[in-house]
Amino acid sequence: MNLHSSTRRQFFETCGIGLGKIALGSMLTAGISRAATHFAPKAKRVIYLFMAGAPSQLELFDNKPKLVEFDGKPIPPEVIAGQRYAFIQPDAAVLAPRFPFAKHGQSGQELSDRLPHLAKVADEIAIVKSVHTDQFNHSPAQIFVNTGGPIPGRPSMGSWLSYGLGSETQDLPGFVVLKSGGNLSGGAAMWSAGFLPGKHAGVPFRESGDPILHVSNPKGIDDQAQRDSLDLIKKLNQQHLKAVADPEIQTRINSYEMAWRMQSAAPELTDFSKEPKSVMDSYGKGDYAKNCLLARRLIERGVRFVQVYHSGWDHHSQVENGVKKQAEATDQGSAALIKDLKDRGLLDDTLIVWGGEFGRTPMVEASAALNRSQGRDHHPQAFTMWFAGGGIKPGITIGQTDELGFNVVEDPVHVHDVQATILHLLGIDHEKLTYQYQGRDFRLTDVHGHVVKKLLA
Amino acid sequence: MTNFWSWFLCSVLWIASIQFSNGQEKIDFARDIRPILSDRCFKCHGFDDAAREADLGLHTFDAATADLGGYQAIKPGDAENSEIIYRMESDDRTEAMPPAKANKPRLTPEEIAKFKQWINEGAKYEQHWAFVHPRERTSNIERPTPNIELGENEIDFFVGRRLKQEGFNFSPEADPHTLIRRVYLDLIGIPPTPNQADEFAGKIKSEGFLPAMESVIDELLASPQYGEKWARHWLDLSRYADTNGYEKDRPRSIWPYRDWVITALNADMPYDQFTIEQLAGDMLPNATLDQKIATGFHRNTMMNEEGGIDPLEYRYHAMVDRVATTGTVWMGLTTGCAQCHTHKFDPITHTDYFALFALLNNADEPDLDVPTEAVHTSRADIRRQVRREEHDLMSKIDPDKFQKWLESEKAAVVEWKTIRPTEAKSNLPRLAILKDDSVLASGDFTKRDVYDLKFDLSGIEKPITAIRLEALPHPSLPAHGPGTAYYEGRKGDFFLSEMIAKIDSTKVGFHEPSISFGKIYIGSGKVVPEGVYDGNGSSGWSTATAEGRRHELVLNFKKPISGKVLDLNLLFERHFVAALGRFRISVSTDEKIAKARASDLDLATAEESELKRLYVRESPEFAEARKEIEALEKKVPAFPTTLVLRERPADNTRPTFRHHRGEYLQVKEPVAPAVPAIFVPIESEANRLNFAKWLVSEKNPLAARVAVNRAWRAFFGRGIVHTAGDFGLQSKLPSHPDLLDWLAVDLIDDGWSMKRLHKKIVLSRTYRQSSVVTPESLRTDPKNILLGRGPRFRMSGEMIRDSALAASGLLTQKIGGPSVYPPQPASVAAAAYGNTKWPAATGPDRYRRSLYTFSKRTAPFAAYLTFDGPTGESCLARREISNTPLQSLTLLNDEMFLETARALAASCFNPTEAFRQSEPAGLKIFRTVLTREPTDAELAGIDAFFKTQLARLESGELSAKDICGKDDPTLASWTLVARVILNLDEAVTKS
Repeated sequence: MNLHSSTRRQFFETCGIGLGKIALGSMLTAGISRAATHFAPKAKRVIYLFMAGAPSQLELFDNKPKLVEFDGKPIPPEVIAGQRYAFIQPDAAVLAPRFPFAKHGQSGQELSDRLPHLAKVADEIAIVKSVHTDQFNHSPAQIFVNTGGPIPGRPSMGSWLSYGLGSETQDLPGFVVLKSGGNLSGGAAMWSAGFLPGKHAGVPFRESGDPILHVSNPKGIDDQAQRDSLDLIKKLNQQHLKAVADPEIQTRINSYEMAWRMQSAAPELTDFSKEPKSVMDSYGKGDYAKNCLLARRLIERGVRFVQVYHSGWDHHSQVENGVKKQAEATDQGSAALIKDLKDRGLLDDTLIVWGGEFGRTPMVEASAALNRSQGRDHHPQAFTMWFAGGGIKPGITIGQTDELGFNVVEDPVHVHDVQATILHLLGIDHEKLTYQYQGRDFRLTDVHGHVVKKLLA
Repeated sequence: MTNFWSWFLCSVLWIASIQFSNGQEKIDFARDIRPILSDRCFKCHGFDDAAREADLGLHTFDAATADLGGYQAIKPGDAENSEIIYRMESDDRTEAMPPAKANKPRLTPEEIAKFKQWINEGAKYEQHWAFVHPRERTSNIERPTPNIELGENEIDFFVGRRLKQEGFNFSPEADPHTLIRRVYLDLIGIPPTPNQADEFAGKIKSEGFLPAMESVIDELLASPQYGEKWARHWLDLSRYADTNGYEKDRPRSIWPYRDWVITALNADMPYDQFTIEQLAGDMLPNATLDQKIATGFHRNTMMNEEGGIDPLEYRYHAMVDRVATTGTVWMGLTTGCAQCHTHKFDPITHTDYFALFALLNNADEPDLDVPTEAVHTSRADIRRQVRREEHDLMSKIDPDKFQKWLESEKAAVVEWKTIRPTEAKSNLPRLAILKDDSVLASGDFTKRDVYDLKFDLSGIEKPITAIRLEALPHPSLPAHGPGTAYYEGRKGDFFLSEMIAKIDSTKVGFHEPSISFGKIYIGSGKVVPEGVYDGNGSSGWSTATAEGRRHELVLNFKKPISGKVLDLNLLFERHFVAALGRFRISVSTDEKIAKARASDLDLATAEESELKRLYVRESPEFAEARKEIEALEKKVPAFPTTLVLRERPADNTRPTFRHHRGEYLQVKEPVAPAVPAIFVPIESEANRLNFAKWLVSEKNPLAARVAVNRAWRAFFGRGIVHTAGDFGLQSKLPSHPDLLDWLAVDLIDDGWSMKRLHKKIVLSRTYRQSSVVTPESLRTDPKNILLGRGPRFRMSGEMIRDSALAASGLLTQKIGGPSVYPPQPASVAAAAYGNTKWPAATGPDRYRRSLYTFSKRTAPFAAYLTFDGPTGESCLARREISNTPLQSLTLLNDEMFLETARALAASCFNPTEAFRQSEPAGLKIFRTVLTREPTDAELAGIDAFFKTQLARLESGELSAKDICGKDDPTLASWTLVARVILNLDEAVTKS
């Protein structure tokens, strides 16, 4: 299988030659496992399903019948005073929720009818309806969720984990990024190592060509020629090492050997041919579903942190159609991942996180210049996330918003609290995982964050 | 003589005592005490009043020795009765210091012993070394007396002294081929050819070591490639990139700034001038175009173009970046810490921070045209051609038709009377009324701007029937206007949402609106002229795609109105800044319905030729014929532009406030511009220019030290101060403090000449040493801090590529110009927002120096990033030097490097050679890349590999065509050899 020439689709569907699991360099990430947890971890790894663009909580999780009553009327001025919005003026009228809600499972979790698959695993998840953030634009808000700061340049959650916990894999990068659905506002800053050493950065799998850059041999060079070349490189480097004795040369020799092993192992990872049909069917179709399955395969191989980004939730216009479409693209994959991990006994120590960067306004967005109507603008004051797996109390709902879904009125959970909780579940005290840079000790949660105790099993 | 020797010995002993004392030797506050205070205590007992616990400060002698009610934290001369010692030793959780919640290690018994000794010796606090001017410190150090006979200079005096103290000596000189390669890579960023290297080795034999060195150094310092090499270092600091960053990360044009840096470095512009021009070139008297271009330094900040952002919030973030960068580059201070609160470790208060902020905060941020000769000529040529074709058409006019047209036009036009505002106010932008009665906006804008204008109507005798708004271009506006949009929308765009007119407080009813042109950009909405008075802010008038031209909007009054005062209220509301930049108001008293016209030619007074030209341009008769002219006009090239600073006028200065917790929305009291109180203040008016001058004056103890340290780091891979951008209290102490200070003073006294500093370093024995590591030096000094051997470290990704291009003969030698696109996988740029294309160059631009590679912040060129290259998102004082398998994959498999291997093999292999053995081509490849002669063992290895691959190629197992582009197995096999050589550790390392 020549990954170099295969498309993304082929990449998933081609039956690879299955070179078998060959140990790969751990130096892609932290090298050695630091095992530096502050207390016993509940989760060993994380799959973060990042719904980029910000899904409407009002169409999926946060049932607000009162909005039907207020449909077409402005929000009371005392509620909206002093708020900044991206596109709308704050006196815009309320838009009634577009979909009906119902209760599911023994826990009675309330979900809209756009999430029929998630409804079947409702008892496995903990829903938090009271998340809030400081940022009201996509790029800073997405970077904020991932790095604890709104401006590019800080280390991302995955790189903090790589730095703090090291890598559990000898085969692959410890922090992998998968994408579907199009434009990602926060961009590479979301998996950057920031000021941590660059080896802690997330490795994005590319959507065309090699999934990991240059993992295939160039045209015309077969494995034999590649191996011969590596042998000569090694030999000449060893001779030079003898002459100048710089230990860095030995590191370089090792890097080349690890590169070779990575070239061999990448095809095995992405070869789905041995997955049972029932499993393939359970995830459904589409790039997001495939990424969910790939995420499972990655964590099975010891990858610590997999981020699955799905873009397309930014419904400034026609929120009804938009949510319908994106829910269809993602609901089955997310639910299948929970079930698949549970079936394999991996859910107990794998944390799954689902959420966007902020919520959407109870008010309607409409604009003549932009030709928009029946949409919702950005809403940092309240949005919904869900969690499942390692260390999470299943079947619960935390937090409430007011009757218009505008502000949080019970159990507010700030983005920094989410970060503190994720680190906590991995055995890390978020106040103790620090790195000195520019004369200051930095951490993922800046100087904030509290573990959300109610979420813990 | 006796005096000198006793002085010398004393100095040596003193230096030895402060640098290598252990246990009971004298305590050095800066080395032994302050780092511990800073790290373990200052967070709660430091400079920040707000964070101070128990009302105790340990940051000054007075604070630490204050009476705490019968006892003192530090009682000078009496460690036993100093509370601090008790707390350091205590095992009681409630009183132990530092407390558990601080997450800081307790002090070791050795550290506590040092504290006791220090207190017993009087607990003397000394000023942090970096805050004392190096000139003051060098007056107390031993004057360097280098051993000239050993080819040493002042640098070697300091380095040698330290080595000797530790019982070591310099390594032997590097062999000539290693040395020449090192010098080339350091000064011009590419290796020498084998011929250049051999010539150098020969010169050493004939002329001696130093003369040979000196002549090659002078030659390289004079090479234009010197500026290219050193510009890259400076661009890391100035966070140069070709895109705006953040979500959309669209392209920007600021390469003229990059070229300015190259030119300035090549001209050896003194570093003080280099500094002043970049920070405040626009404020110099009669500032030249170049001096304005230089201010691009602080325009390299990112700009968020995401729809719906608050533009002033991101301007604030850009300012935060400017303060941090200025601190890092010229003050060696991590000022960023004081953004949110008073610095806990360095003496910079929260107010100091915003005072520094204020020094840089009074500039507008326009684009500047950079008229180049070529564009000038091209514009003039096309315009001449347009005139010619117009004349040609004018000569073909049918006089009857023309007359008829003119009469009907004259009958239709109304007479406009321009009215001059008596008052022009806005929510924020500065509105100036110009001579021609137009209004020009400048300063800061928001995404909802409101203009309020008042006009005196006493000169209008008849009732008013219509109003006209002309949107006008102006050179000060983005893309010359007429709007002020500078991000997200097209530059120079505007969006008039609502226009409300009141005459003597009565609202005017409009009808019959018309526009000369209308188009909305961003969004699929349509311009509806009625939108400007429909009460809906999202509908209105915009003239996108026709920037730099005059447009008009005409609104007829439902009924004629007389009055004394016209109040005009204009609302500009989009999801980006979209206020008008320049406009003019006129009224008509004509009874006809007024209509907007594209031309403002006055038909009554215009000359015949002008009228004819208008006819050619507007009449249906020439609709087809003039298309050619219109197409031609579209070809008129715009001048390249660059981003600059422009100091604001005195009547519109931008105030600076302290922001609580550093947050944009938490505005507190105003703060006046000043340097931090720890420094000698700026004497003259505290503005950006005087601040720039202050930074490179004797008042700033840090600029020269930081500059010297940076240069040192570039040559040796490690700064004299390891924390390159941080010389504050938390920084690592210098490995060679006297050397740093001496070099800093020398730099200043040498007229701030960087080339002379570089020459001094390269000529030093320290630099010339062999970098071979011995088991002993590896054990005693693995990081080579004492500099007992020459530098050896991996080159940057850019240097690796440039070296490979140079070795293969592909390198395109062209300085400056817009950035270019060397090949890389399409998936790299495609991963960025908007599925960005990467149009890989196919001509000479494919092989330009890496400095010219288009630098996209959210998707940096993959090969450089993999080798720890910058993203351009913030100032980078110290690149990491990592060693990873992803780097190996790049060098092995990236098409770009394979191309260099092909070209290298082709240039080294002569197919006419009688026998195709490995030696001639193999040797040539080896030497071209690595400079030195290969050993027999190395050649044997290459030979064996070559033969194995050749056999496979000849048997058809491998395709020569795929590998080298030709059906030539020998060349293909050499290509594989070249690829191996380019992958060697030595090929990517400066040693």
